[in-house]
Amino acid sequence: MNVQADAVRTLSYAEALREAMDIALGADQRVVLIGEDIGIYGGAFQVTGDLVEKYGEDRVMDMPISELGGAGVAVGAAMTGLRPIFEFQFSDFATLAMEQIVNQAAKVRYMLGGAVSVPLVMRFPAGSGTGAAAQHSQSLEAWFGHVPGLKVVQPATPEDAKGLLLAALEDPDPVMIFEHKLLYKTRGPVPEGAYLTPIGKASLRREGRDLTIVATAIMVQKALEAAEVLAGEGVDAEVIDLRTIRPIDRETVLESVRKTGRLLCVYEAVKTLGIGAEISAMVAESDAFDFLDAPIVRLGGAECPIPYNPDLERAAVPQVADIIAGATDLAQGRT
Amino acid sequence: MPVEVILPKVDMDMTVGTIAAWHAADGDRVEKDAPLFDIETDKAAMEVESPASGFLHHICAEIGAEVTIGTPVAWIYAEGETVGEAPLVFVKRPVFEEVPRDRDEPAAQREDAPTLTDKTRATPAARRLAASEGLDIAEVAGCGPRGRVQAADVERMLKGPEPDRSWQSARGPLNVLYSGGGDGLPIVMIHGFGADGGGWKALEEALPPGHPLFKIELSAHGRSPLSRIDGFRDLAAAVREAFDALQLDCVHLIGHSLGGALALALSATRARKIDGLTLIAPAGLGPEINGDALFGLARATKVESLRPWMQQLVADPGVITERFAKAAMQSRRDANLRAAQHHMAEALFPDGVQAFDMTVALKELDCPARIVWGRRDRMIPWRHALQAPGTVALHLLEDVGHLPHLERPELLAGLMRDLR
Repeated sequence: MNVQADAVRTLSYAEALREAMDIALGADQRVVLIGEDIGIYGGAFQVTGDLVEKYGEDRVMDMPISELGGAGVAVGAAMTGLRPIFEFQFSDFATLAMEQIVNQAAKVRYMLGGAVSVPLVMRFPAGSGTGAAAQHSQSLEAWFGHVPGLKVVQPATPEDAKGLLLAALEDPDPVMIFEHKLLYKTRGPVPEGAYLTPIGKASLRREGRDLTIVATAIMVQKALEAAEVLAGEGVDAEVIDLRTIRPIDRETVLESVRKTGRLLCVYEAVKTLGIGAEISAMVAESDAFDFLDAPIVRLGGAECPIPYNPDLERAAVPQVADIIAGATDLAQGRT
Repeated sequence: MPVEVILPKVDMDMTVGTIAAWHAADGDRVEKDAPLFDIETDKAAMEVESPASGFLHHICAEIGAEVTIGTPVAWIYAEGETVGEAPLVFVKRPVFEEVPRDRDEPAAQREDAPTLTDKTRATPAARRLAASEGLDIAEVAGCGPRGRVQAADVERMLKGPEPDRSWQSARGPLNVLYSGGGDGLPIVMIHGFGADGGGWKALEEALPPGHPLFKIELSAHGRSPLSRIDGFRDLAAAVREAFDALQLDCVHLIGHSLGGALALALSATRARKIDGLTLIAPAGLGPEINGDALFGLARATKVESLRPWMQQLVADPGVITERFAKAAMQSRRDANLRAAQHHMAEALFPDGVQAFDMTVALKELDCPARIVWGRRDRMIPWRHALQAPGTVALHLLEDVGHLPHLERPELLAGLMRDLR
């Protein structure tokens, strides 16, 4: 046996997503890709790449520039038996398709007494860091996490990007995948073949004693980087990658807080009324409250639209240094 | 334009004041900043100074008149200025009166509402841990932000006081903490009643480096055994034995309060080994001692009862913060220790009197010695220092109480800078 072939294979996050779609298109005739510029152009972030050449324009369909129209097509296709994957060019444009996402996709199963479901996968390039300014850099996932009937995932690694996309296709209900744009080029080990990463299950990325960092999307990577620095300073941080924000994995978070007694929530979306508030409240309402040994700390995005100026853009969302500072204060009882 | 003389607001919740006296009459010449009139509020009487120099006119608030703050009560005219009719007074109603009186009072002001001040600031984890160990959270000294009690504080209390990591315990009948090498003269310290080796911390940090330090902890104090002490002689014997076990040839001895008396006792029997002596507010030089404070300290089982007595120990009560008192209470948690100390206090200070006399030992001292005493010592009168012969240096410190080594560690260390 060739040892070299057994070595862990790495892919970029974008490649892992493409591989998941490739597997699904190959295995299931019902799977179709729908989106703007996903055919010949290969997608705004080159995620679909050359899939159109392999599966043809009937399976990888370019849509006119109308998010509402495209989403409507996708919802209808899902209701009538296909397994569409709808790509938005930027998650910000979900605002144009709100009716289809919130009032149709999320509600149909309930309003038709379970007779029909909407097995629709929606992909959203999200987040800041690319100099794309206020209308192309937002993190709107928490908006959709507020809607019963939707599932919302935020993979932070190539492995999870592939596993969660395949899991989303298996799911009978609409699943929204928020893909942080800065993650597309990050590389990591990705298993061969088809596998599922469970929706609704967080991942313990790093074990630690002193505090729990619950992070989402790219903040997971920043938190892990911070944790390494913190370890050198004697602070042992546990890092939880939430992976899914609806339904949220309550028990993994609570169990960790019971152990460490300190909670730091890190997310890129605007801090106020966000996922950090949900996690904080979840802990405060649970038995884990009695284990808290310091006030909960949230690190989130600034209360402003994402600025175009690159320095301001960086300053508007938590960075590794912010996590290190926040975690150090928290672990050393200065909060 | 004449200058208005208004009724000023002299305390926080004052709304009206009563004119108690005028120091000038209509038409009198007045000088700026000289007392002009007196006001009384429901809390205090105050002298109000003249806002300007000139001639006083139109006094419109007689003695006994109740005046709303901010209202003019007279005017001062400059020399040569024409005195006309009294200016019209537009009194702006104070804002607080616009609030309807029958409104619900805020919850915090209602009698049945719990006040924040009697609540201990503690994390849920600290409360859970304290409750599971049967500990009153209020007794725990919080080291977190704004004195918040955190789980580590409770754990520390459960473990008992921990000696400084650089300190080790020496074998012997009493616990002796020693630290540091250096080839300077070894310093042996003997603490006072109710204290322990930890009480020297501020002085240790101020002392010149290079001296090995030995802190003897008295029977039933710190980590020494809870032996029964029936009199000064028992305690002096235990200290002597502990000192001998250290096998030191030549030391500088520091004793505070009861430890000062014990240092004198040790000097009498081990004169050749004592190079010099620093006595801080030493006991044994007269019968008087603050028995109430002494027994109050020995009896205290709560921070609330300990702190007022601790504040008697220092000139500035602010030094004894709640946190400091809580930390002291932590080291006194053991009921057996408190009982043993109480017994010792009764043996050494029956009826609140110093039952042992070290003046002879002081007069026969054969080594350089100094006495350091705070002139605001409320435990033992500093005048006891005057018993000392002329060969003993006296340092009688202004604005210092019974704990100069805590209140003025730098100053005390400065006095000792000539140590070999």
